[in-house]
Amino acid sequence: MISVIAYGLTLGGILYIISIGFSFTFGTMKIVNYAHALIFTIGGYILYATLPRIGFYPAAVLAATLGVIPIAFIIERFVIRNLYGESVDLTIIATYAVFLIGLDVLKWIWGSNPLQMSDPINKTFTFLGTELPVYRMAVIVIALALAILIEIFLQRSMAGKIVIAGLEDKETVRGLGISVQRYFTMVFIIGSALAALGGVLYAPITVVEPYMGFQILMLSFAVVIVGGLGNWRGTFVAAFFLGMVMSVTGRWWGPASEVAVFAILAVSLLIHPIDI
Amino acid sequence: MGAAVCNWCKRLEMPIIVFAYLALIPLLSVNMASEIIIFSIYALSYNLLYGFMGRLSVGPMLFLGAGVYGAAMCCVYLTANPIACIAAGIVCGALLGMLLGPVTVRAAGAAFALVNMAFNQVGFFMIQTGLAGWTGGSDGKSLYFDPIGPLDFNKPNHVFGLALVCLLAAFFLMRRLTESPFGIIIKTIKENERRGNFLGYNIYGTKLLVYVITAAVSAFAGALYAIMFGYVTPSFISPARNIEVIFATLIGGRGNIYGSLLGGAIFILISSYLPNIIQRWELFFGLILLASVFWFSKGIPGIMDLFGPKKQDVNASAKGGLR
Repeated sequence: MISVIAYGLTLGGILYIISIGFSFTFGTMKIVNYAHALIFTIGGYILYATLPRIGFYPAAVLAATLGVIPIAFIIERFVIRNLYGESVDLTIIATYAVFLIGLDVLKWIWGSNPLQMSDPINKTFTFLGTELPVYRMAVIVIALALAILIEIFLQRSMAGKIVIAGLEDKETVRGLGISVQRYFTMVFIIGSALAALGGVLYAPITVVEPYMGFQILMLSFAVVIVGGLGNWRGTFVAAFFLGMVMSVTGRWWGPASEVAVFAILAVSLLIHPIDI
Repeated sequence: MGAAVCNWCKRLEMPIIVFAYLALIPLLSVNMASEIIIFSIYALSYNLLYGFMGRLSVGPMLFLGAGVYGAAMCCVYLTANPIACIAAGIVCGALLGMLLGPVTVRAAGAAFALVNMAFNQVGFFMIQTGLAGWTGGSDGKSLYFDPIGPLDFNKPNHVFGLALVCLLAAFFLMRRLTESPFGIIIKTIKENERRGNFLGYNIYGTKLLVYVITAAVSAFAGALYAIMFGYVTPSFISPARNIEVIFATLIGGRGNIYGSLLGGAIFILISSYLPNIIQRWELFFGLILLASVFWFSKGIPGIMDLFGPKKQDVNASAKGGLR
């Protein structure tokens, strides 16, 4: 029972780290960013490539998280920025195309076989008679720390306040003479770095493969919808709630874990429909 | 085009389509021509949802897969009569559409696209793992269909004939549907849903009906795929393949039924021949897709307009403003 709860919290933490960037892009620019899944996957691959050379796990995590920033910048500059004001369907197709291009480049470099990674800490501790891996607990701590940092960033800094205002009403913020574009770019890049961090943290739990982002994207979309559009606190609650749902149903019957998440998504859409 | 020319075209369009596909046989092969035809049926159904109603779904493979697996399960467990199997596939797709439609059509835009993708992922998972005992899991199942009288659908020529007849039926259905008053309501949903509601039309019912028709016709194409290939694998329902039909619709021109035929043929040709020339064909496919979003979002008809005689486009400024 305890191990189920712990796994649920770990999944929830990873889902939160990935979804927060997706949530901000969706909330501020109204763009469904498929390339987010690509960034997530690239994070996992950079970790795989750098870990044997550096040898020190936290340094490799940092390398992967910072390494995707130029890629995110290129995607933002040449694709996302040109999509402002386009209709939603074209933005989805364009970011999907970026996803396909990136996927093929990844396959070109590393091949399409799944790559296994080992647990970087590889220690367990006993809590109430249950053995738990330290690594998974570390993931939960990192997620909570990030949630607090994001809260401080949004509430205390000028940039954060502008982003919150942009979530509410972009036009009025622009009317006040603030160049919203710059802040949205910043949020996009921070979100992408966090997506890569999510990929890095998720990689040792599963395997690194080109399509790993595909499934995660659907889950983080469910998190964003269930948590409420552009509501970063809702995203936090929904991530841990859905992580727990996945863990509990997965214990009962493996294939049911995703189905349960999407069933909750369907109920949430029935209760209040979204049209963006 | 004048009205007289249009009438003349319409009377001859069915023979022209038949002739065009027959001409493909010596150029390519019978199997490739059948694949193009079946994919075009799928593209036609998707065009109704995306091109005419303006709802981008990133999960049409779910309904194609429902047709494929409906027909295959009917063939394996009930009867190997191909006509009964096609009917089973269509019923499966339509029932799935009726089940999911009330949830999905309430969403629009990005939410609609991704909810469909989520259901597609669930369907893929159920076929591959959840119901692997019946569907054969990732190994799939091979099928054998009984001949009906002189028709034996294990022969490529007979499959081609069946596919062509089915394409004409689907094409006729789509033409009648989009040119009817009902079709005008469908286009109203794309242009201005709220105004359609205000005028007293049953917008929710229309959306649901279009969703179910799309599901049923996609499943029809799926059932034909099952007959043509003679085996099923979960790749027929894989969410990673959704982009194929979106590409075909975009490149052929959204909201244009001839565009679906053209786009379907172009996609099958690209996906069959490009890998022979360039190993990393998905990279080029992505680049074509990106280019078509940024520069040719009207597809090939839009490109042809650039070279053709200048037409007065009354709606151009209004459309730009409504985005």
